[in-house]
Amino acid sequence: MTELVQTLVLSLLLGGVYALVASGLTLIFGVMRVINIAHGAFLILGAFIAYTLWHALGLDPLVGVLVTTPVVFAIGWAIYHGLVRPIRNAPMSSTVLLTFGLALVTEGVMGFVWGNDSTAITPSYVDTSFHVGGVFLPKAQVYGGIVAVVVLVALWLVLTKTWLGRAIRAAAANPASAELVGIKVTSVAALVFALGLAAAGAGGAITGVLYPFVPGSHYLWIARLLAIVVLGGLGSLEGAVLSALVFGIAETVTAVYVSPAWATAVPYAIVFAVLLIRPQGLLGTRLRDDAVTA
Amino acid sequence: MSAATSPEEAPTGRAGASTLWVGRGIAAVAAVLLLLYPVINDNRYYQNIIILSLVFAVAASGLSIITGLAGYVSLGQGAFIGLGGYTVGILATHHPDTSVWLWVPLAGVVAALVALVLGFVALRARGPSFVIITVAFLFLVQVIAINWRSLTGGTEGLTLPLPTWSADIMNWPFYYALTAILALQLLLAWWVRRIKLGTGLVAIREDETKAATVGINLPVEKMIAFVASSVFVGMAGGVYGYYLTFIDPRGMLNILLSVQTMLALLVGGKATLWGPVLGAFLVEPLNEYANNNLGGGNTRLVLFGGLLILIVLFLPQGVLPAIESLLSWLRTRGSAGLVGARIGTGGSLASLTERLHPVEREPGAAVPPMLEVKDLRKSFGGLKAVDGASLVVPEGSITGLIGPNGSGKTTLFNLVDDTIHADGGEIWLAGERIDGLSPWTRAHRGLGRTFQITRLFREMTVLENVVAAQHSFSWSQLGRIAVSGAEAKAAEELLEYVGMRAFRDQKARALSYGQQKLVELAQVLMLDPKLILLDEPAGGINPVLVERMSEMIRELNSYGKTFLIVEHNMPFVLGLCDPVHVLGRGRTMASGTPDQIQNDPAVVDAYLGDDFVLEATEQVERAEQERAGST
Repeated sequence: MTELVQTLVLSLLLGGVYALVASGLTLIFGVMRVINIAHGAFLILGAFIAYTLWHALGLDPLVGVLVTTPVVFAIGWAIYHGLVRPIRNAPMSSTVLLTFGLALVTEGVMGFVWGNDSTAITPSYVDTSFHVGGVFLPKAQVYGGIVAVVVLVALWLVLTKTWLGRAIRAAAANPASAELVGIKVTSVAALVFALGLAAAGAGGAITGVLYPFVPGSHYLWIARLLAIVVLGGLGSLEGAVLSALVFGIAETVTAVYVSPAWATAVPYAIVFAVLLIRPQGLLGTRLRDDAVTA
Repeated sequence: MSAATSPEEAPTGRAGASTLWVGRGIAAVAAVLLLLYPVINDNRYYQNIIILSLVFAVAASGLSIITGLAGYVSLGQGAFIGLGGYTVGILATHHPDTSVWLWVPLAGVVAALVALVLGFVALRARGPSFVIITVAFLFLVQVIAINWRSLTGGTEGLTLPLPTWSADIMNWPFYYALTAILALQLLLAWWVRRIKLGTGLVAIREDETKAATVGINLPVEKMIAFVASSVFVGMAGGVYGYYLTFIDPRGMLNILLSVQTMLALLVGGKATLWGPVLGAFLVEPLNEYANNNLGGGNTRLVLFGGLLILIVLFLPQGVLPAIESLLSWLRTRGSAGLVGARIGTGGSLASLTERLHPVEREPGAAVPPMLEVKDLRKSFGGLKAVDGASLVVPEGSITGLIGPNGSGKTTLFNLVDDTIHADGGEIWLAGERIDGLSPWTRAHRGLGRTFQITRLFREMTVLENVVAAQHSFSWSQLGRIAVSGAEAKAAEELLEYVGMRAFRDQKARALSYGQQKLVELAQVLMLDPKLILLDEPAGGINPVLVERMSEMIRELNSYGKTFLIVEHNMPFVLGLCDPVHVLGRGRTMASGTPDQIQNDPAVVDAYLGDDFVLEATEQVERAEQERAGST
């Protein structure tokens, strides 16, 4: 029983981190219909930057979030203007291939800079736990989960309470009309792409404490993240958060009760099941495709 | 020539034919060089590069069927190489006394079966979901290969028995086996493109929903495409595994195999026959160079990733199509386009009498319903777009359907032809219940439909658009030549009838909106439908064309076609249609003759408006005054 409670609490903490990173991915899809295959690569980039800050300057990785987030934000903004904007009206397959290429380049560059050996961020608290009523909660997981939720809430506030948030939602619903009412859609899109990547950058600093990583870890991450956003319904922020929690539980339970090796298969199994049974995901809606004008 | 031209290659005139022959000449020379190379030169390094290029050429050519023709982008193509390799590896290690070559065809069968399963999943997933599925599929296969240790050897992999033949000819069997598989793969790719299946796949790529409404059987065509795109890839993967004599998940199921395959396809040119081969022979040497001279690993990642980005940004159509369009630009430079030509005055139906006969109707006889809709329902979230609509379209009538914007007219059309699936209600066509049937079966039963915003297959020519319609389905029909002589003739007659014959070789995307409406009508007529649903036939076209449209509808009607028309142009509807149904808030609020409808207070209030009555009354008064004045 205690084991089950511990498993569930840990999976919810993990789910919080997943929710943060997946929100970025689903936000980018929702506004610009781009599936950013490079999302996992920028998460790992965030982890490596946090590692360097910790290793060279002794900065705590969870404080490092304050650095990785704006750095990856800036990279995202530049990538949008340099690479994504020229093909924003091209078929979806073009952007998929482009971001895939971006993921490979990022992986290669990280390999050059940080090497291909397993890297881990190990601040002093990494091997200590809180004990609450017989349940062991590793401090790294608890702190990481809390930071993820704080960043996620900040993102959510930006999207719902600010003018920028309304502009983003307007641009997502109908780019042409948003343009007509004075929203500069390309600027909004650039901000969204940057915000989405920044979420990955923030998540990277957090997950860097939880798991060791190599540049090639991004494949596992993008598989996980795609499974989450597909399960939640592509483009749905609430769906992504909900399914991130479900996903955290499914993965942890499989690892604990079946085998850690098969836990890696969970994302792929979920993708298949969802697309077969409910292609629109948990909270997605199927829209009519006959009345699209642009 | 025109009779056998596939959708993708439509060289016109002498110059086109000569470039075609130059192309064939180059291909023939390349084939001879490929066959002779190991005999002339026994450099293992170069033979290795060619062998790997051959594997990727097969994979990319297979990919071009599903991605190039059908438009389904797959990043899982490399998995079929791996599946083939594992099939051969597993069987060869379990049966050490049997020749390994025996398992190669089986590798193709396994790949095809897995593709069938993947295709089944893909029936529900389009666009982005499909790409995600293919990535997930690849990783899932990889996880299984790692974890099912008893079968696959896990991460340590499998070591195959070494080849038994003389060391002098070491690579020859692999080399020639792969060349033969590539030849078969190219033959398949060539054949698929010139039969009905190929046209159907291109239609699916251009507009899948529309393709279903013109009678294209989506699941069957997509499934065949999936199998066709993987069977020889599995075989090539089998030979590749034997060639390596070592198989492990990192090598055989690496996503970079998929990336390299995709790159080969993109570099060479999607949906071309030779593009994938050219691409494979360009990308693989580059890969070898990066591995051997630039340090491999990370360099290779940056190189592949960078190349992918550059291709998407700067050469999205690939090398071969770029050369082709350059040549065609050089050829046609200075000559005026045809798109601005006048629309023909239109033929009469007399030319179509082989297929159409005037219908005599006895006045006053009881008319059975052609279409009967009962209590049809559809909600989008909380919005009830169609909320219990019921209506009857009598056989031989031109029935009108009017109502305010958002009253559910187009949604009703979508439900009738299953572009959107109804939540409830019954649909009967000519006495048969059709609401459980697929869109293409409905088309085969005699339902034709045009769209409010025209939906032609943009990259096809006008003629190809018209013959893309398939008015029945049979397995053997999929294997017939894409455009038979009889079909071309029928299509040309229909185009003549709507006045668009002069445009037959233009791409549909080059036409104006009004022209597209006419072509779409011809396309629907190719289905030889009993009932034609027209969604705003008079919307957005000039008055002369509106006149011509109503003339054609009347004429077709006299030849037995029943019509249901959604239209906002009231004089057009009231002059043409009888009966007229009025839709309001998703249900039928009135039905009757045009006169009854015009004088129905509820309709006037909800839709026509007081000023319509005013105008109509003024018109009548003016006419009466004129008449009074003239006497």
